[in-house]
Amino acid sequence: MRAGIIMTVLRREWFETVRNRLLMSTILLPPILLTVAPIALAGAVGSERLPPELATQVLSQRPEWAALTPGELAGAFAVQQFLVFFLLMPAYIPLSIATFSIIGEKQARSLEPVLAAPIRTSELLAGKAIAALVPGVLAGWATYVVFVLLASLVYGPALFGVVTDGSWLAGVFLLGPAVGLSSVVAGVIVSARVNDPRVAQQIGGVIIVPIVGLVLLQATGTLFLGPFGYAVLAVIILIISLVGLRIGVRLFDREAILTRWR
Amino acid sequence: MTETRPADSPIAVRATRLGRRFGERWAVRDMDLEVRRGEVLGLLGPNGAGKTTTVRMLTALIEPSEGTATVDGFDVRERSDDVRARVGILTETPGLYDKLSATANLDFFGRLYGLDAATRAERIGHYLRLFGLWDRRDDVAGTFSKGMKQKLAIARALLHDPAVVFLDEPTAALDPEAAFLVRESIETLRKAGRTIILATHNLDEADRLCDRIAFVRAGLVRIDTPAGLRGGVGTRRLTVRLASGPSKAILDAVRAMPGIDAVEAVDGVLRVGAADPESIAPSVVRTLVAAGGDVVEVRTEQASLERIYFEVMGVRPGADGMQAGD
Repeated sequence: MRAGIIMTVLRREWFETVRNRLLMSTILLPPILLTVAPIALAGAVGSERLPPELATQVLSQRPEWAALTPGELAGAFAVQQFLVFFLLMPAYIPLSIATFSIIGEKQARSLEPVLAAPIRTSELLAGKAIAALVPGVLAGWATYVVFVLLASLVYGPALFGVVTDGSWLAGVFLLGPAVGLSSVVAGVIVSARVNDPRVAQQIGGVIIVPIVGLVLLQATGTLFLGPFGYAVLAVIILIISLVGLRIGVRLFDREAILTRWR
Repeated sequence: MTETRPADSPIAVRATRLGRRFGERWAVRDMDLEVRRGEVLGLLGPNGAGKTTTVRMLTALIEPSEGTATVDGFDVRERSDDVRARVGILTETPGLYDKLSATANLDFFGRLYGLDAATRAERIGHYLRLFGLWDRRDDVAGTFSKGMKQKLAIARALLHDPAVVFLDEPTAALDPEAAFLVRESIETLRKAGRTIILATHNLDEADRLCDRIAFVRAGLVRIDTPAGLRGGVGTRRLTVRLASGPSKAILDAVRAMPGIDAVEAVDGVLRVGAADPESIAPSVVRTLVAAGGDVVEVRTEQASLERIYFEVMGVRPGADGMQAGD
């Protein structure tokens, strides 16, 4: 694969993405909400205490939180739920970009002249995949950094320690990109079969279901995934994504696009 | 591998028994074709005749199921990257990026074809001026009319100075004014000596723009120059209008002339069928005058491409299909 060709595709993809207001609003709005909401929530529950049974359950899973005051424990438990939302960002942003990009090209019939150029389909797909993946992952990371800064400024070192522990770092920096890649793969596969970006996002959104499951498990205090758990999960998702990518590359075959994509 | 040095061969495109099957259906089969450098070849046929499939095979977009083809000396199957680098294609729809400016659209493709920055800037300027789009160079393509989009797409096809240009239905779905502008653009390319393969079902367009016309229906039915097609298919004739209508003596006198295939009188007009109406016209006029006829008007007529199309493709024409010539 030639890096120059991939960069050419990447530049054009981003150029079009920033000119798509609908797409940009779906990319930018949630990160802004995600930085404000956890801090506000932690503030709201700051004077509250967890029910004794839940507090016991939480401390049994996170013994390192034993030093926190009851108010800090409630805040830490509330903020902890938002880790999963930082995983949703690298999931839905690449999905949105990938589906808009591929289906947009299908609708405009703009792929045929591109495929008539001396570009390999793997280069085209790589350019599109990177163009979709990078904004989602970077948005997740940037939002996380802002979130950590705000948390430490507003609530001090106790919550700072909570949101920068190993599970957060592994979740944001390992699991996030893996989820993002799986999302791109889902976007490519689904977009090859449907002609409406919203339908593609709904179908591709199935990828988010397991993450929502994590949200529920964490919200009920049933499960706390540690750094190792997140790392293992990232590897599993990465393997599934690479298998999916092979399917995606086959669907992105030059002849299939020209003769079967309608 | 079938390959000759591109510069050595006067043949730009060569297809031998080329065929493509989709499932059980053959879209094109047994296509033999040669296109000389600098020639404009029309692929003429109804919808679904295999024109687009042929173009796609020759531009290495899809692989042939059987047969071989070379473009600029490179085999479409084995050297597909080289073929794609040497052809320019105008697809059925312009396929532009609507949110990108005219310049950005061309620049993107210039990069894909590996042109350096200076060459890109020079050629983008050249083609935007050539096709009258320079003043709109910074406007996004989505704001362009259909004709402008088509011209921009033709500019895109030429940007990398391809050896062969493929134009697939370049005026389909365009209004008459836009179609005229696009045909003018193609005429400009023709005069510049470009090798062009023009897939169309517009008979008039093919007649006006092409050096040779290939009638296609799931394969090559017939290929010739427009004049050759007219000479070989359909009747050529001389039409003579007389002041008082042709008498029996006049008819007999003309029938007795050498080189005359048929003579008939229709609504007071004398129709003289001949292989070469222009060369016999003076002697026919002399014969008519000698036989006492008062000649008002003499015209040669040739079969229209439409009539030739119907005859070659085995379709029954709905009308006479004759048109006046000089």
